[in-house]
Amino acid sequence: MKNRFAILPLLLLAVFLPTACMDYGENETERIAIDDAPGLFIINEGNFMYGTGSLSYYDIRSKQVENNVFLRTNGVKLGDVAQSMTIHKGLGYIVVNNSSVIFVIDIRTFELVKILKGFISPRYVHFVNDEKAYVTDLYTFAITVFNPQTLEITNRIKTDIKGKTAPSTEQMVQYKNYVFTNCWSYDNKILVIDTDTDTAVDYIEVGKQPTSLVLDKNNKLWTITDGGYSGSPYGQEAPGLYKVDAETRSVEQVFRFETGDRGSEICMNEARDSIFFIRSRKEIDNGREVSRDHIWKMSVEDKTLPAEPFLTNTSTNHWYGLAVDPHTSEVYVADAIDYVQPGFIYRYSSEGERIDKFQVGVIPGAFCFNY
Amino acid sequence: MKPRPISLLWSCAAAILFSSFDAVQAQTPGGTDPDKPVRTIDIEEISVSTRRKLSEIGVTKTVLDTVALQQNIVHSLAEVLAQNTPIFIKSYGRGAVATASFRGTSPSHTQVLWNGMKLNSPMLGMVDFSLIPSFFIDDANILHGAGSVDVAGGGLGGAITLGTHPTDKEGFDLTFVQGISSFDTYDDYLRLTYGGRKVQLSTRFSYGKSDNDFKYTNYNKFNDDMKTHPVERNKNCSFRDLHVMQEAYWTLDDRNKLNAAVWYMDSNRGIPSLNVNYQEDDRSNNRQDESTLRAVAGWDRLGDRLQLGARAGYTYSNLVYHSQGTVNGVEDDRPGAIAVEQVHSQSIVHTGFLNLSARYFPHKKLVLSASFSTNLHAVDSRDKYIYALEKKNYDTMRLETSVLVSAKYRPHPRIGLGVDLREESYGGTMAPLIPAGFVDVVLWPRYDVVLKGSVARNYRHPTMNDLYFQPGGNDTLRPEKGYTYEGGLEFALRRKGFSFEGEGAVYNSRIHDWILWLPTFKGYWSPINVRKVHSYGAELKGKMDIALGRGWALFFDASWACTRSINQGDPMSENDQAIGKQLVYVPEYSSTITGRLSWRGYSLTYKYNHYSERYTTSSNDPSTLYHLGAYYMSDLYLEKSLRTKLADLSLKFCIYNLFDEEYESVLARPMPQQNYGFFIGIRPNFGKRK
Repeated sequence: MKNRFAILPLLLLAVFLPTACMDYGENETERIAIDDAPGLFIINEGNFMYGTGSLSYYDIRSKQVENNVFLRTNGVKLGDVAQSMTIHKGLGYIVVNNSSVIFVIDIRTFELVKILKGFISPRYVHFVNDEKAYVTDLYTFAITVFNPQTLEITNRIKTDIKGKTAPSTEQMVQYKNYVFTNCWSYDNKILVIDTDTDTAVDYIEVGKQPTSLVLDKNNKLWTITDGGYSGSPYGQEAPGLYKVDAETRSVEQVFRFETGDRGSEICMNEARDSIFFIRSRKEIDNGREVSRDHIWKMSVEDKTLPAEPFLTNTSTNHWYGLAVDPHTSEVYVADAIDYVQPGFIYRYSSEGERIDKFQVGVIPGAFCFNY
Repeated sequence: MKPRPISLLWSCAAAILFSSFDAVQAQTPGGTDPDKPVRTIDIEEISVSTRRKLSEIGVTKTVLDTVALQQNIVHSLAEVLAQNTPIFIKSYGRGAVATASFRGTSPSHTQVLWNGMKLNSPMLGMVDFSLIPSFFIDDANILHGAGSVDVAGGGLGGAITLGTHPTDKEGFDLTFVQGISSFDTYDDYLRLTYGGRKVQLSTRFSYGKSDNDFKYTNYNKFNDDMKTHPVERNKNCSFRDLHVMQEAYWTLDDRNKLNAAVWYMDSNRGIPSLNVNYQEDDRSNNRQDESTLRAVAGWDRLGDRLQLGARAGYTYSNLVYHSQGTVNGVEDDRPGAIAVEQVHSQSIVHTGFLNLSARYFPHKKLVLSASFSTNLHAVDSRDKYIYALEKKNYDTMRLETSVLVSAKYRPHPRIGLGVDLREESYGGTMAPLIPAGFVDVVLWPRYDVVLKGSVARNYRHPTMNDLYFQPGGNDTLRPEKGYTYEGGLEFALRRKGFSFEGEGAVYNSRIHDWILWLPTFKGYWSPINVRKVHSYGAELKGKMDIALGRGWALFFDASWACTRSINQGDPMSENDQAIGKQLVYVPEYSSTITGRLSWRGYSLTYKYNHYSERYTTSSNDPSTLYHLGAYYMSDLYLEKSLRTKLADLSLKFCIYNLFDEEYESVLARPMPQQNYGFFIGIRPNFGKRK
C-alpha cells in the first residue's frame, strides 16, 4: 500500500475491534437475612412492558428497607407489572400481572420455591383453605383454582353469567363458604363464588367500576367505585362507597362522591371497625382548580362521609397505594412520584403522624404484611 | 454480571484524530454558486458532493448517499441512521418498532419528510423508521437543530428529508437482490427502471419475511431446577413486510418537470414477548398490522431566476393492533380451551397534503424563498375490548398549515447569512412565529474551512392523541417551545487519491413546556406541559477516501456525539430525584464507524456502533434492574462484484453481531447473537455494451 494516509483508519479499526464487549449475563445473587421481626412487603409494579417489577421489604421495627430483594436473592427478575402478594403458611405468592405468572417465595429468605404458570392476566390470590386457592384474572373470564400443597392448577371457574357480560375479577374476601370478588374493568358487579362447588352463583350490582373490596366486623362488604371516566363507552357516574350486607347480598348504603372524583384502595384497620380509602377532592390552589388525593377514614357505623381527610396530601402528586397495618392500624401510603423513578412510602401512626419515609421501587402499588 | 473492560475514551479517538489530522493539499476554491441543483458524481462507491448551496448557509447537515442507504436490503432506515449518524435509534430488533432520538429529544421532535410530504404520524408525532426500507430512498439529508426550520416546524431535535429521484441510466435497467438470512429470513428486492429523454420510470418492490425466532439464553428465568437458565426462542416476533413503489418523472421542456411517486406498504408484525413473560401457549400473541399508501405528485419549474414548485399528496394508513391470550382448560385439558382477544385497537388516518414553493434569485448572491404547506388529517381511532365494548378514542379532523419565508445572502465570497421565518397553525390555533438565523464564514478556502452558526426558536404543536385521545386527551396543551443555538467548523481536504472531510458542532437547546403523559387521579394517563429540558452537546463526523494503488481503496466514515439532555423542570414532590438527570433512554455518548477495504470487485466492510449506558428511570437509578449497559455492535460484510456479458452480479456475505454478544438494547427485549445473511444481486445488461 503506497498511500501513507492508509495507516490512520487501520489504526482506528485496530483500536475499536478489541473493545466490542457488552456487560450482560447472569445476575449476581446474595443472601439477605431478615429476622422474625414484623415486616412489610412492598410490591412495586415497575413500568408496563419494561419488566421492572420489584419487591421491597421493610422491617417495621428497625425501619430498615431492602429493595429489589427478589432479583438480588434469586438472580432473576420479578417481571412485568407486579400486582399483589399474599402470604400463606410461610410462603409468599407474588402475582405478576403482565408476566402471567405467580412466584412462590420463602418469606424469610426471599428464595424462589415454585413458579406457577397458566394464566393470562392474574391479579390476586385468595386462600379458601389449605387445599384450595383462587386466582382472579383481568382477561380470562375465569377464576383459576390451584392446590397450595401441590401448587398445581386444578380448576377454572367460569365467571360469565348468562345474559350478562363476562366480568373480569379483582380482589377477594370470604364470608362463610362464599368468596366475593369485585368486577372492576368496565363492570359494576360483585361476583359471588360458592367455594363448595367452585361455581359463580350470584352477583351484586354496585356502581361503575368497583376497584377494591373489604369485609368489616359486622360482615358488611365495602367497595369503592371509580365511576368510569368522561367519554367511556361504559359511561360515567359519580363514584362512591358501597356498603353491602354479605348475608343478604343487598346494598345497604351508598356514599356518593362528586362526579369526576376518584376513589380507590379501600382498607380496614386492626379492629375492622374503620375503613380507610383514597379519595380525590377538587380544591383551589393559587386560583387554579386542582385535584388532590387525600386519605380518608370513617367508622363502619358512620352514616355520612367524613368532612375532612385523615391524611392531607399537600402536593398534586397522586397517591398510588394504601395499606393499614392489621396489628397496629398504622397507615402506609405509596407515592409513585412521576411513575418512572423509584417511589416513596410514607408511614403514619394510627393517629396520622408521620413516622417514617423510605424509598422503594418504581410504582409501589401493593403491600403485604408479614407477621 | 461479569463486567468487561470498556472505555468510552476509545469513542473519542475518532474525534481526536479528525481534529489533529494535518494534510497539505488544497482544493481550488469555488465561487459562490447560486442555489442550482447540485451535481453528485458517483465514482465507484464514493459519492462526492460539490460545494455548499446558498440554502445551506450555516446549516449542520449530514448527507446519506446511496452507498450508505443501499448497503444491505435487510436494512431499514433505522439501521442506516444508527450505523452512520449520531442519532440514537431505540430499536426493539428487526421487524419491530424503531424510533429516533436526535440531540437528546423525543421521537416526535424529529420531523421526517418524504418527497416533501411529512411522514410523522399525526396521532403520535413520531416515525417508525423500521417501516422505511433503505433501498426505497435515493437520498437522505439530516438537518441538525436549527437547520430543520428550512423544511418543517417542530423539529426541536432536527429533521430528516428523504427523497427519490429519476434514474440516470438510459433505457431499461433491472436490479434484483435475493437475501437469505438466519432465522428463516428471506428478503427480495426488485427495481425496474426506464430512462428516456423525457420520461423516467421506476418500479421498486421489496418483500421481507422472517420467523425471527432466534434462540437466546434467558437469564431472567429459571428452568424447573431453579438453578439453570432456559434457552428460549424469541416468541411472537415473526414479520412480513411488503413495499411497492412506483415513480414517474416527465420532463416537459427545459424548465418544466413533473414527477409522481406512489408507495404502498403492507406490514404484519408480531410484537415480541418480553423475556419475563411466562405465558405458555404460543397462540397468546400481540400483533400489529399496518397498511399505508402514500402518493405525491409534483411540478417543478426551474427558471434561471425563478424556481416554482407545486406538490400534492395523499396518505392512507390503517393500523390494527390486537392482543390475544389463551390458557389451557383443565377438565378436558385442551390447549387454549379458554381464549380471549384482550384488545383490538384500530386507527385509520387519511391525510391530504399540498405544498407550493417559490425561490427567486435576484442576484447570484441572494436567494429569496417562500413556501406554503398544508396537511389535512382525518383520524378515526377506536378500541374494542374483550368486554365487547367499543371505545371511540376520537374521530377528528385537523388542518395544519405552515408558511415559510426565507432569505439567504452571500455578501462576500467568504460570508453567508440567512434568515427563516416560519408560521404554523394547527386546528385553528396559531403557534408563535418560528424564526431562525444562519451564518457561515469561510476561514481558509484552501482547506474549505468554514465556521458556521445558527440560532432558532421552534415550536412543536401537540399531536392529535395529545389533544383528543379518550380518556386523557388534553385540549388545553400548549405547543412545546424550543430555543437552540449552535456553532460548528467543517473542512475538506482533497488531493489525488485522497479525500478527507470533517465537521464538528456544538449546540445548546432549551425546551419548555415539554409534553409528558402522566397518570391522573382517575388512573388513566393524560399529557401535560410539565417539563423543561436543557439539551446540549457536541457532534463530530468525518469521512476519508484513500486510493491505495493497484486497485486497492480504503473508505472510512465515523461519527461521534456527546449528548446531555437534562430534566430541569420543577420537582413533582419533595422526593422527586429526576431534576438535573439525563432523560430516559438517551445515551450520553454515541459513535459509529464504517471502514471499507476494496480491491477489484471485492470489498470488506466493517461497521461499528456504540451507545453508552442508558437509564430507564427519570432519576437515573443505576441498579441492574433499571439500567442498560453500554452497547457495542460490530457487523462485517464481504462482497464480490462480477461483471459478465449477460449481467452484473454481486455476492455478499454478512456477519451480524460479529462478536456474538448477548444483549438487550431495550429492557426485557432479547436480541440475536451472531447471525448471518447471504445475498445475491443480479443486474442484466439488456444488450448494453461492456
